[in-house]
Amino acid sequence: MKYIPTIGIECHVQLATKTKLFSEVDNDARNKEPNSCVSPVDYALPGMLPRLNGEAIKFAILAGKAMNCEINASSRFDRKHYFYPDSPKGYQITQFYHPIIGAGYVELPSGTKIRIEHAHLEGDAGKLTHFDTYSLVDLNRVDTPLIEIVSMPDIHSAKDAHDYCKELWRLMTFAGVSYGDLYNGNMRFDVNVSLAPEGSTELGTRAEIKNLNSFRSVERAAEYEIVRQSKLLDAGEKIIQETRGWSDDTGKTTGQRSKEEAKDYRYMPEPDLPPVNLSADFIQEVAEKLPLMPADYRRKFGDSLKTEILEILLDYPELIRKLSEVDEKYVVTVSNLFTSVLLAEEKSAEYLNDLPTAKQLNDLAKMNEKKELSSTATKEVFLHLFDPQMRRRDTEVIAKELGLIQENDLGALETIVDAVLAKPETQEAQADFRAGEEKVIGFLVGQVMKESHGKANPSAVQEILRKKLA
Amino acid sequence: MDINREDIKHLADLSDFALPESEIDVLGRNLQDIIGYISQLEELDTDNIEPTYQVFEMENVWREDEIKSQDASREQLLALTKEEKDHQIKVPKVL
Repeated sequence: MKYIPTIGIECHVQLATKTKLFSEVDNDARNKEPNSCVSPVDYALPGMLPRLNGEAIKFAILAGKAMNCEINASSRFDRKHYFYPDSPKGYQITQFYHPIIGAGYVELPSGTKIRIEHAHLEGDAGKLTHFDTYSLVDLNRVDTPLIEIVSMPDIHSAKDAHDYCKELWRLMTFAGVSYGDLYNGNMRFDVNVSLAPEGSTELGTRAEIKNLNSFRSVERAAEYEIVRQSKLLDAGEKIIQETRGWSDDTGKTTGQRSKEEAKDYRYMPEPDLPPVNLSADFIQEVAEKLPLMPADYRRKFGDSLKTEILEILLDYPELIRKLSEVDEKYVVTVSNLFTSVLLAEEKSAEYLNDLPTAKQLNDLAKMNEKKELSSTATKEVFLHLFDPQMRRRDTEVIAKELGLIQENDLGALETIVDAVLAKPETQEAQADFRAGEEKVIGFLVGQVMKESHGKANPSAVQEILRKKLA
Repeated sequence: MDINREDIKHLADLSDFALPESEIDVLGRNLQDIIGYISQLEELDTDNIEPTYQVFEMENVWREDEIKSQDASREQLLALTKEEKDHQIKVPKVL
């Protein structure tokens, strides 16, 4: 039978605030010693009170606006109780009843819109490492601010699940609210998959695949789950509602042993944190700082750039922003240099932090356009714009210094061509060409290029040669 | 609302503590008394009253996003735990 998959995704985004959500300690625990970024508040010592980080509120507004969401004028925090060593409090502070971010949507590159149900602020849990007879607890990550984004079940393919997660990553990084460092778990995805027979109005029983940390795993896990559930349904079996884990190595999801009892978090309002009441003015003031989003760039460059190029650039906010500063007529040339030269470099990640100026790039594209630089020379000069010794200089100065400016002066070129044609070693080739052997023109052009130390414009040379040998 | 033995066992499970059989009934009675006392409030008509989340009427109590040095050191805090190993808190095996 044919089944229609329905996928909903919950995404946890780690916010790039300096301090934690409720305490004034370092929020960036990457490469830090265990339990070195922890305060008495994070330990939940008696009498400790959480104090809300105002920046997290602003980031939540930006994140919400990036997803075209309503920002709720009034929101508050709740306690979600569970007992586990990763949470000294015995509960997580989250927003269960009144989240800060309301309904909205995310538009995929394909144009498909995925609705957002809501998104809320909450504190992360600590990290557990399990050993044979004991577990170790590192509280560095306790109460790192997270935004949990809950989508509507609007996704119907593994590909769209991938695209949705990637687009969320772009929105969060463009908005500047998260480092989006997937390797360090800055974004984690829980994917709900269910199947229903084609034409059915009811959704099937869903399985939830927890804690995926890459777009590729989301896509592969969803693909696997769709196949697994189809086979079960075809065999007349029932899908069990359960949490499943994904292994990148085996490429499979497996059921996770979970306690029999239904979840019972005993939510209650967090009495230690007063409500967050936002005026329309405040929301607008923050929202105005939202920079251009991927959808804005798609509108801006949709006509001039190929979709593939544009989508690659949208993975690098620095590049697309720089491209926006470049003259409209040079956008194609510069975008090609970005995607095929810069991103192919080993040090590209480093280069992204210190891109050439728009003037340097405009000048480069202009020299290429005027054939003062061959395409090879253009690439070479482009890479030298990242050279620590040269990078502050004008493009033309660098091109000259490298001796890469092409000879376009026809008179000068003719002199060189004549010199080459006078050489004994070119006589045979000249005769061959006159006899109709078209391809020896390449050899002759090569000789002229050599004579000119690579500076001659090859197409101009070829034209002169053809005239002379006619 | 009646509290039965299963409710008490369920609550103990959620908090992951061992509850001797002998204490289940005692705790059940205590909890029943507390709930009975609180349910007197249900006699009031609260139909058109907003839920009270807090009594101080404060709002927007935020702080600046600046790292501050802490009064308690890593060592002091770790020393409060029952057992530590490699600067981590050692707990009985979970999962």
